[in-house]
Amino acid sequence: MPTVQLLVNALALGAAYALVALGFVLVLNAAGAVNFAHGDMVMLGGVAAVAASTLLAAGGLRLPGIVLVPLVVIVSGLVGLVVAAVGFWPLRDRPPAAMFVATIALAAVFEQSATAFFGPEPRAAPAIWDGPPVIIGGIALGRQPLALILVAGLALAGVYALLERTQIGRSFRAVAQDREMARALGLRATRLIVGAFALAGGLAGLAGALLGHQFFVNAGQGPAYMLKAYIATAIGGWGSVPGALVGALLIALFEMLVSAALSAVWAQALLYLSLLAILLLRPQGLFGEAVGRRA
Amino acid sequence: MTTLRPPAAAVMRGPAPMLLVAAAALAWLALIGDAYAVRLATLAGAQALLVLGYQLVFGHVGALSLAQGALFGLGAYVAAMLSLHAPWSLSLTLPAASLAAMLVAALVGAVVLRLQTHYFALATLAVAQLIHLAAVNLEGLTGGANGLPGVPTVSLAGVAIGRGWPMLLLAWGLFAIAGWAVARALAGLRGLALDLAREHPLAAQSIGIDVSALRFTAFVAGAGLAGLAGGLHAHVVGVVSPDVTDMPVMVGCLIATVIGGHRAVFGAALGAILLTHAPEWFRFLENRHLIAFGVLALAMVIVAPDGLAALLAAMRNRLWPSPDQTPPAAMPAPPIATTRPPLLLRVAHVGKAFGGVRALDDVSLTLAPGEAVGVIGPNGSGKTTLINVITGVVPADDGVVHLGSELLRHRPAFAIARLGLARTFQHAELSATTVALDAVATSAFARTPRPQRHAARTEAMGWLTRLGAGAQAGMRCGALPAGRRRLIEVARALMVRPCVLILDEPGAGLSRPERIELARRLREAQEGGVALLVVDHDIDFLAACADRLICLGRGRVVADGPIDTVRRDPLVRRAYFGRDDDAVIQA
Repeated sequence: MPTVQLLVNALALGAAYALVALGFVLVLNAAGAVNFAHGDMVMLGGVAAVAASTLLAAGGLRLPGIVLVPLVVIVSGLVGLVVAAVGFWPLRDRPPAAMFVATIALAAVFEQSATAFFGPEPRAAPAIWDGPPVIIGGIALGRQPLALILVAGLALAGVYALLERTQIGRSFRAVAQDREMARALGLRATRLIVGAFALAGGLAGLAGALLGHQFFVNAGQGPAYMLKAYIATAIGGWGSVPGALVGALLIALFEMLVSAALSAVWAQALLYLSLLAILLLRPQGLFGEAVGRRA
Repeated sequence: MTTLRPPAAAVMRGPAPMLLVAAAALAWLALIGDAYAVRLATLAGAQALLVLGYQLVFGHVGALSLAQGALFGLGAYVAAMLSLHAPWSLSLTLPAASLAAMLVAALVGAVVLRLQTHYFALATLAVAQLIHLAAVNLEGLTGGANGLPGVPTVSLAGVAIGRGWPMLLLAWGLFAIAGWAVARALAGLRGLALDLAREHPLAAQSIGIDVSALRFTAFVAGAGLAGLAGGLHAHVVGVVSPDVTDMPVMVGCLIATVIGGHRAVFGAALGAILLTHAPEWFRFLENRHLIAFGVLALAMVIVAPDGLAALLAAMRNRLWPSPDQTPPAAMPAPPIATTRPPLLLRVAHVGKAFGGVRALDDVSLTLAPGEAVGVIGPNGSGKTTLINVITGVVPADDGVVHLGSELLRHRPAFAIARLGLARTFQHAELSATTVALDAVATSAFARTPRPQRHAARTEAMGWLTRLGAGAQAGMRCGALPAGRRRLIEVARALMVRPCVLILDEPGAGLSRPERIELARRLREAQEGGVALLVVDHDIDFLAACADRLICLGRGRVVADGPIDTVRRDPLVRRAYFGRDDDAVIQA
C-alpha cells in the first residue's frame, strides 16, 4: 500500500480512536474514575447504526450513512446517560474503584444484551460516503476514510470549542479540577458530570458508527475499544485531553505501520508491550500527568 | 462474670451451619444429581478456587487486578500441555499449573504492583491480553484457536481420579484446604495488618509493616490459586481453548467476587456456585441469563458492596447475636520504658522542593536521645514535609538524616519505622471498621517475629489504659470522636516501642483539657526514654510537653532554643504574624 494511503487510513483510524479517547478522558476527569463500559458505548453506537439502516432498508428507504449520524449520536448519548445513572450516580460518594467495578458489570450487561438481541456475528455499518475511491493527484483514496476524518475532525473541533470557548466548558473544567470547590462556587457539579457522560456516549457512538463500516460491528468488540482509549489516556498523561488525543493518533499510526510491516497480531502484542514499558519507565505518561491521584 | 451463651447461638455461630449446607448440597447431588449436575458442581469448585485467589488480590490487598482470568487460563494450558506431552506427569499437572501462574505473577507483580490503581488495572489488563494473544497465536504450543483436545483426567499419587464424583471431591477438597489455609493465615494480626495496609498504607508503614511485601505475597498466592483452578478446569472439561484466557473469565471472576463477597471464604464458594449455575437456574431466560447476572452484580455493587456473605453474616448476627466481646480487663500499664537503646536523630542540610515550591531549604536539627522538642511554624512552613522526609514517606532532594549511626536515605518508610522511629498523622489514620484494641495491637505484627494476637491485645490494652482510652478499647475506630482517635493513634505508635516518636499536630481538634491530658501522657512517655518531636500550633501545649522549640518559616529553621527564648524571638514573630508585635504573643 502506498505511503499516502497508509497515512490517510492511519489518520482516519486515529481520528475515530480520538473520539473514543476524548469521551473516555472527559468522563475520567468529571467523575474521577475509569468507565470500563466506554468501549461498549462504541459498540452500541455501531449497533444503532446497523439497526437503523436495516430497519430503514426494510421500509424501502435507502439513506446514505451520513443521515444516520445524528440519530446514532442521540441514541448513544442516551446510553451515556444510562451509564451515568447506574454506574456513577449511586456510587458518587464511594471510592473510584466502586465505579470501575460497576462499569465492568455494566459492560457485561451491554455486551450480553447486544449478543442476545443482535446476534454474535459481525455486521457492517452503512458507509458514510459510498462509492469508488477518489483519485487525488493520482492516488486512489477510499471515500470512507476521508469522510471519517472529516466527520470526526468536525466533532473534535466542536467539543474543543465547547470546552475552551464557552462558559459550560469553563465550568466543566472547574468541576474536573476540584468538584467540591466547584460546588462551593455555585456550579451544578453533578449536572455537568452527567452531561460529560452523555457527551462521551455521543462521541463513542459516533466513533462506533464511523468505524463499523470498515471494521464491522460485533457485540464483543467493546473491551478492545475501551482498552485503546485507556492506553491513549495513560500514554498521553492521565487526565490530559490533548494528551489523550495525541495518544489515540499514535496508537492508530503504530497499529497501521506494524500491521503493514509485520502482522495485526504483532501490532497488538507490541502495543501492549510498549504500554507496559511506558508505564514502568514513564508512569506520568509521555507528556506528563494532568491530574493527581485518581483511579 | 460470664454469661452463658444460649445453645442455639453457640451452634449457629460455629462452623455447623456451613457444614450442614455443604452436606445437604452433597446429599442432593448424590440423590437426584445426574452426571451433568456433578460436572457443573465440579466446575463450581474450580471457580471457587479462582474467586478465593481473587479475594486475596482484590478484597484483602485492594489491588484491582484484571489478570486473574488470564492466569486461570495459563494454568489450564500448562496442565493440558503437560498431560498431553508428558503423560507420566499426571500427578504433577496441578502443582505445575499453580506454579506457572505464580511465576508469571511474581514477574509481573515485581514491577507493576507499585503502580497506582488505574495504572495497575491497565497494566494487568495488558498482561492478560498478551497471554490471550499467545494462546490464540502460538499454534504449535497451544493448538491455536482449536485448542488442545483430549486432556486426560488427573492422577493423585499414580491413581487416576475419574471425572464425576472423584473429581468433584478433589475440587471441593482443594477448596476446603485452601479456604482453611487462607482463613487461618488472615485470622490473627496478619489480617489486621492487611486491613490497615489496604486502607491506610502510610499508617501501615509507619508501624513497620512492609506493605509492598504483603501486596506481592497476596498477588502471587492469588495467582497460585488461579493456576490451580485453571488446571482443574482443564482436567474436568477435557479440552482447553483460548476462551479460558479471555476477558469473560476475568469478568465472571470479578462478578462472582462482588456477589459472593470480597473477603469471606464462604463468599467465594457462594459467588462461584451462583456464577456457574446461573445458566442452569435462569434457563427460562434463555440466552439472557448473563444479562440478569450482570444486572444482579450491578445491584450488589450499589446496594450491598460487601456481597452476599456479609448480608448472611449480618442476618446471623441479628438472629443469634454474638456474646459481648468484652475486651480484656484493664491491664496494668506496660512499662513505658523503651526497649530500644536511645538514639540521636540528626537532620543535616535537608532540602525538598515540590515543583517550584521549596518546602524545605537547608534544614538542620538534632533530637538528643530522650529529648522532647516542639516544632512550630505557620501553615506551609514545611512542618509536615519535614516529618515525611525524616520518616521516609517522601525522599529528600538533598541532605541526610541519621538515626544513631544509621543513614535513613533510600530506606523505605517501614524499615525506618522498624529502626524505632514511630509517627502519628495530622488526620488520624485508622481503619474505621477495626476496634480500637485491634488497631493498637496491629503494631505487634511487624515488631516481633512470631506475633501472637492474644499477647498483642493484652499489651495493647495496657497502652490504651495508660493513655486513658481503655474504655474505648472495644469500639470501632470510625465511631470514636477525633480526640479519642488521636489517643488510639498515639497508643499504636507507642506500641511500636520507638526510641523516637514524631507527632504531627497531635493537639489539633482536641479540647483544652484533652490537650493538657495528652501533654501529660507524652511527658510520661518521654520520661520512659522516648525522644519526642512534636509539631503543633499551640505553643502552650508544646511548652507542656517539650523542652526546646524549633520554629520553621518558609522551609527554613528560623529559631532553635529554649521555649521562652524562641517565644520572644523577633524572627519567630515575623514568621508567624508577619510583624514584630509584642502584644500578639502576650495575648
